Amino acid sequence: MKLYNQMALAISFIIITILASVMAVSYQSTKKDMLQSVYEASVNNIATLAHTLASAQGDEVIMMSSVDAAFDSGYYKSIEFRSSDGEFVYKQEDSEQIESVPAWFVKFADVANTPISEDVLVGWESIGKVSIVGDTAIVYKSLYKSFVRLLYLFAIFTVISLALFAVMLFYILKPLKEIQKQAEAIMRDEFVYQEKIPYTTEFKEVVKGMNQMVKKVEYIFIKGSEALKRNQELLYIDPITELYNRRYLLLKLPDLIALENRANGGTLVFLGLGGAEILNQSLGHANADKVFQRLGSVLQRVAESFDDGVAARVNGTEFIIVLPNCEAQKSLEVAKEIHTKYELILKKYELLSEEITLDIGLYRYRPNMDVSELLTKADNALTHAKADEYSSIYVYEERDDENAMGKEQWREIIEESIEKKQIGLKFWSVLDTRSRKISHNVMSFTIDNGAHKEYFYGDFIAPAINLGLVSKIYKLALDTLLTNKHSQLGDKLCSIRLSNEFIKDPYSYETLSFLLKEKAKELPFKLSFELSDNFVVKNPILVGNFIKLFKETGCEFGINAFTGDSEDFSYLKVYNPRFIKADVSFLLDQSQDSMGALRVITDSLGLEIIATSVRTSEELEQLRGMGIYSVQGPITDEITKSITE
Amino acid sequence: MYSIKSLFPFLVLLFTFELQAELIDAQIEVRAEAKYGAFAKNRFKAIDEKLLNSLEDADEIKKLNTVNTWVNFIKYGSDEKIYGVSDYWATLYEFVGKNAGDCEDYTIAKYYILKELGVDPQKMKFAYVVYKNKQGKNISHMVLAYFTTPQPKSKDEILILDNNNRLILPASKRPDLIKLIKMINGDTGPKSKKWKKLEENMQRKKL
Repeated sequence: MKLYNQMALAISFIIITILASVMAVSYQSTKKDMLQSVYEASVNNIATLAHTLASAQGDEVIMMSSVDAAFDSGYYKSIEFRSSDGEFVYKQEDSEQIESVPAWFVKFADVANTPISEDVLVGWESIGKVSIVGDTAIVYKSLYKSFVRLLYLFAIFTVISLALFAVMLFYILKPLKEIQKQAEAIMRDEFVYQEKIPYTTEFKEVVKGMNQMVKKVEYIFIKGSEALKRNQELLYIDPITELYNRRYLLLKLPDLIALENRANGGTLVFLGLGGAEILNQSLGHANADKVFQRLGSVLQRVAESFDDGVAARVNGTEFIIVLPNCEAQKSLEVAKEIHTKYELILKKYELLSEEITLDIGLYRYRPNMDVSELLTKADNALTHAKADEYSSIYVYEERDDENAMGKEQWREIIEESIEKKQIGLKFWSVLDTRSRKISHNVMSFTIDNGAHKEYFYGDFIAPAINLGLVSKIYKLALDTLLTNKHSQLGDKLCSIRLSNEFIKDPYSYETLSFLLKEKAKELPFKLSFELSDNFVVKNPILVGNFIKLFKETGCEFGINAFTGDSEDFSYLKVYNPRFIKADVSFLLDQSQDSMGALRVITDSLGLEIIATSVRTSEELEQLRGMGIYSVQGPITDEITKSITE
Repeated sequence: MYSIKSLFPFLVLLFTFELQAELIDAQIEVRAEAKYGAFAKNRFKAIDEKLLNSLEDADEIKKLNTVNTWVNFIKYGSDEKIYGVSDYWATLYEFVGKNAGDCEDYTIAKYYILKELGVDPQKMKFAYVVYKNKQGKNISHMVLAYFTTPQPKSKDEILILDNNNRLILPASKRPDLIKLIKMINGDTGPKSKKWKKLEENMQRKKL
């Protein structure tokens, strides 16, 4: 019950109590006074009447007439004459209903008026007795009138006081509304600081307390995010060049070359520095480090000039730049530019490029490659470059393998499936390993054109992106999800991973907005959308719009492929996702400090961490040790199977 | 010097005012017809036309005689019989509508018609008397007494309008009225409970 309603109820109760007691008191005293005056009037009249009746000398007709005359010219309930022997009785009585007073009130008031009587004396002899009952109608009338008047008065009083009370309460409780807003914001894990301190002491304390709390949580969050950043740097950053290290590259590489992200594959630039001993000897360690630093910043700039480019120092003298989606020709230019800049650095330190060499092997990779094979082939390219006496750059391009289908073939398949709506939905579950229950489902989809073959998401998404069909195929998948019934989902959350390319497509927003506004509210289950961490960090405006749309349509939002290599983690605070999903290998790779810092962040924001691609029960155990209980991946199928068995 | 023309608006005003307060109006005739039939309607019409309109300019004695005669034509009936109560003061409308009533109802009807005809109500009293009928029995009775002077000094100066006598005679010529118990004013005197009730009923033209 709302505070105002409670208080209004209390006030009404008080008013009714006052009304009732005032009415009771006034009623009692009015009744007593009026009865007294009726009694007095009757006493005044009875003497005269007794005298008049006596003068009739016992003539019955004259007595009757006298009683009539007295009754008609005064206010009486009844007049009765009864002779001493009881043989002659004459009575006039008003037995009519009292007008303008309801019967229930007459019954309730019950004005008891006792008759007064006097002897009628002729000479010394009493010939009879006259009795008068005064008229009580006036008592009823005035009691009823005052009752009604009081009732009106109190009704008006109640309305006015409740209105005044409402106005007063509105102003007094205004800060409470703000407090409520702040409390709701805190429950949504937002950090809202109340600037206006209310006037009322109690509210002031509450607001101060809440502000303090918000400040503390925010402080914890900031500390946590600083710690995480520091730990990530220690773990993944080469201290001299400030490039990523080998550890990071190996962790990230599968993601970078993943089919979905890169339609045509990209280029891996493998750089090898020769003659590092000479460098150290001639410049000393400190200055040699400076050369590495300068080279590092050149490579960093190159990596940054490509979407999702990553530059890493893999060991003392070798560097790798991964340039996804970069054509061979383009990468050759890049390599040449790097070499030119490298020569400029050497010149500055008066070093010779014949002595201290930089060889660059370019390996143009295809999607769906094994990481170790990729590295071996890139290494081969570098070896070629080193061996080549005339050029320090060697390009090794992988030809399309025979199995891969051509662009036109894919177009046919995808367009046909869109036209015929040949989309199959696949659901994976996210398990809580403690309760062994499904916490939510993740949707993926396949092209399933029945007679032919089933193509997995991983197969067709890259060509679809290439052909500009990604928005259409997503639309069809979402439409299928929102339109058809999926009893296996129950009322649980269903999460859909949105491809970066889908988000980038200018028509996607409109498509999604239309679908969600039309259908999301009627679904038996709740929807959630996942975006990759890296993409969210790099496209704040675009992502912001989509998140706004999700929140407007009552959908949840989560982050996947979390790598924690962001400059700061305030985007988590701003977007306030429901969960973050990270690859199990990333999570297991974290140091205890680093994990602790991540936990501080997620706890202060009320975020759930979900491990993805979990395959083995060893991984599951390790995750448990880290306090991570939500898992997704092939292992969940095994667990659910073992439960059902 | 006031011309008739300049007085005209006032006359109209006076006339309409009188219309509003008329003792008998068209509405009561319609209501009477609905409740008691065409004869009742005609009785009201007769009061309006034969008494109120035609006696407008007559002298007071003529007014008294005509009204007395006309009202006395209505049949006698006890309250017990008509209203089921021992004593009831009927309005002029109930009395004329039902075409029956007891001594009080005759008195009330005469009083209101005469008052409407411009007779000073101060000169008319409701008299409680003891009446000895032809069989020699004493009966409690009511008549309308008319004072020919404001302060009558003898019974000669009081005229009696009685439903038991078709003539209006001075009290001195009415030995059958053996005793006067009390005389009360109409609606001009102190108002008793009975009077208040009657006045209310008259105002809303209780039929």
